[in-house]
Amino acid sequence: MKTIPLEAFLVVSMILFGLGVIGIIARRNLVTVLMSLELALNAVNIALVGADHHLGLAEGQIFALFIIALAATEAAVGLGIIIAIFRLKKVESTDEISELRG
Amino acid sequence: MGKLIIFGFFSLMAILSGIGIITLKNPVYVVVALLSSLIAVAGIFFTAGAELVGALQLLIYAVAIAIFYIIVISAVPWQKAKKSETHHRFEGLISLPVVLLLYIEMIVVFLLGVKASPKGEIAKFIEKIGNAEVVGAILFSKYFLAFEVVSLVLLVGMIGAVLIGRKESQTYEDDTT
Repeated sequence: MKTIPLEAFLVVSMILFGLGVIGIIARRNLVTVLMSLELALNAVNIALVGADHHLGLAEGQIFALFIIALAATEAAVGLGIIIAIFRLKKVESTDEISELRG
Repeated sequence: MGKLIIFGFFSLMAILSGIGIITLKNPVYVVVALLSSLIAVAGIFFTAGAELVGALQLLIYAVAIAIFYIIVISAVPWQKAKKSETHHRFEGLISLPVVLLLYIEMIVVFLLGVKASPKGEIAKFIEKIGNAEVVGAILFSKYFLAFEVVSLVLLVGMIGAVLIGRKESQTYEDDTT
């Protein structure tokens, strides 16, 4: 029944999460930053579903469903914010938005 | 053994697409890489036996959200972005060790939690009546309040997106100097 070990899920999840965080930190384009965030959320989903597969529970899949719903909300609000920033300031790079820098 | 090979194939595909997400320059190529990665993650869900989550991943992520990104990219003029799209190199280099450290901490917590959690309470139900039924039964009984709260969050997010994204009657370009 259980042929895939839990560690395999965790390693894949770790690599994808690291790639997503690198994208969030290192990309300059605002839309690609949001897409890297989606990748990191997917990595968390992999960890939850892998834990379910290991434990024989169903709670992790329910949390994964909640994460998918919240990711949809986050994409809608985040892209709305990006469009508003672009419309107000005509910038789309994370370097040019520095009003909160002390 | 066959399951492990399929799992390795899907995870390799997801990781290669993830590398594409953080390295490609054109935002449209990045959307295509994201779509490939999402589909591979859905494959990982299927190999783990989570059919409902995999199907919803394909429906919501790979169709709805990816199309949403493509619509936004095509709605915003990106001439300036195509010229200046590069990476923060130093931050990109130092982010991986820090993130690995944090994630190793998370994995330690996770493994300890797995060791302490009750093993396989409902495994026989899953074998008897299938994955989607079990998820639905638990979702609508034990986590019903959380389900309702998620629907409220979706409503608030929809209202917020409409309010943020609507056209302003006045612009604030003079305030930003």
